[in-house]
Amino acid sequence: MLRIETPPPHGGRLVERVVRDPELGKKLAKSCVAAYDIQPTMSKGVPIRNVYREIMSICYGFFSPVEGSMEKAEVERILKERRLLNDWIFPYPLVFDITEEELKDLGVTVGDRLLLRLKGKPFAILDISEIWRIDNPEELATKTFGTPEDNPEVVQEAFNAKMPGWVIYKSLKPVVLAGKYTIINEPKLQPPFDRFWFPPRKSREEYARRGWRTVIAHQTRNVPHIGHEFLMKDAAYTGDMEPCHGIIVNAIIGVKRAGDYPDEAIVEGHEAVNLGGYIKPERHLVTITLWDMRYGNPLESMLHGIIRQNMGCTHHMFGRDHAAVGEYYEMFATQTLWSKGIPSFGFPASVNDVPYGLHIRPQNMREFWYCPVCNEIAYSECCGHTKQKQKFSGSFVRGMVAEGIFPPKVIFRPEVYKVIVKWWKEFDFPFCNEKYVKEKEVRLEVDLPDMDI
Amino acid sequence: MSKYMSVLLDDKRMEAIKGSSLEEKIDKMFGGALNAFTLKLSDNKAKEVMDAFFTARVDSRGFITDVPIAFSRTLFEEIAKAKSLGDDVIDGVLARVDEIKEAAEKESEFLPVPEF
Repeated sequence: MLRIETPPPHGGRLVERVVRDPELGKKLAKSCVAAYDIQPTMSKGVPIRNVYREIMSICYGFFSPVEGSMEKAEVERILKERRLLNDWIFPYPLVFDITEEELKDLGVTVGDRLLLRLKGKPFAILDISEIWRIDNPEELATKTFGTPEDNPEVVQEAFNAKMPGWVIYKSLKPVVLAGKYTIINEPKLQPPFDRFWFPPRKSREEYARRGWRTVIAHQTRNVPHIGHEFLMKDAAYTGDMEPCHGIIVNAIIGVKRAGDYPDEAIVEGHEAVNLGGYIKPERHLVTITLWDMRYGNPLESMLHGIIRQNMGCTHHMFGRDHAAVGEYYEMFATQTLWSKGIPSFGFPASVNDVPYGLHIRPQNMREFWYCPVCNEIAYSECCGHTKQKQKFSGSFVRGMVAEGIFPPKVIFRPEVYKVIVKWWKEFDFPFCNEKYVKEKEVRLEVDLPDMDI
Repeated sequence: MSKYMSVLLDDKRMEAIKGSSLEEKIDKMFGGALNAFTLKLSDNKAKEVMDAFFTARVDSRGFITDVPIAFSRTLFEEIAKAKSLGDDVIDGVLARVDEIKEAAEKESEFLPVPEF
């Protein structure tokens, strides 16, 4: 079969747990026995995660077939085999965690319905199916990401406080309220994020409207430099009997590490690539997913595959150091997962070739660099001038931006750099810093309509 | 594996080293679009830099990056003063760690938007 068609959602059915009828929303809110105000998870006084993003991504189907905060047995199975209780593969525990004091104040028990408020307004409900304890969050954090001893194929260094994902899990509160979430008061995305909001059902409809049968996804947490642009363009030459019809950029929006670009600059920077005509808008679509990155390289790539398969993508490009920070994982660990598997994580074969695995196809790419001999952006597996190559290093590029040096066109498109400067003026800083992260967790990416109950 | 550091040279820095022996040590990057000095650090010096700055990391090229901007500024000053790209320059920078950290603290809140 030469033709590749839109894949089914992971788990076979797109999860949609959003009540759009305000009267039904009010009725569900009134049936709750207690209310809880969502606050970000903190570490050393700085926000590192907000569970509201997980609730959004679950209820809009990005994480299908996950429907809520996980029960203990499900978390244990994920840590052991990276599978949900219904057998479908999944990389990370997702839980609604509270303190013992909060549990006492709420007075809820199994079978109760809890109202979750965001920005002081009704947002979602949680139907509690189990209440369980995390005995040792540090152990949970370590099991989540692996160790050099247990996962020698890809883990190079023990995780520590420099790894944001590990800190997120280590900082979980001890009580987990497990159960399904339902959004009962649909949030409105704020600009500029609103025009990039394409949850799975909408993105599938958008591809059909554009006549896209094959779509390749590009994961990003970066403003695109030329290396990213060429990765997108060249990876999209895959497809079936013709290159992929569409390229979607899916930007991860949420708390990031200091030094990453602000989310606003990331989405508009990618949009500038198509507005500038470098990849024409008819072939390029910028979208977002709400998620506080765990930086789990191969594990994060599995989540990315799930998200983008649910969004209807047929292919996913993966480069070097995918969703990585530091040198905890081997730099091509993601490609190992998607080519031959990582047995110690429960995958003796690629995540495409295991039962209850993924349908989205990997396009594993090596590197792009500038070659002064070829005088072009070259692909590492084509260009023979390895001694003369000049690699695109994200941190080198960030250093250049921070020093206020105007980037040459061979590094940033001028339209993209203008976006960086636009948001630099807004936030007084070109990158995420403590001030940005703290203010962002107050502002969030959404506003909620009033709902009197 | 050897570790390196790069110091980008904008027009102001190029002017500051004009006519000196340092001009011969300029690396042309990205087809001549960028000028830079490249320093090769001994293992000891690389470790000292990494230990001194929490944010510092080694990128895929083997370059130490994500140091404060004040570090890069100071590094250029020391290079210009010593007319050298050797470990002695790093010693000069490390002797000014407190000054760099103080400047970095201010720069973590605000960086002026460049005017072009």
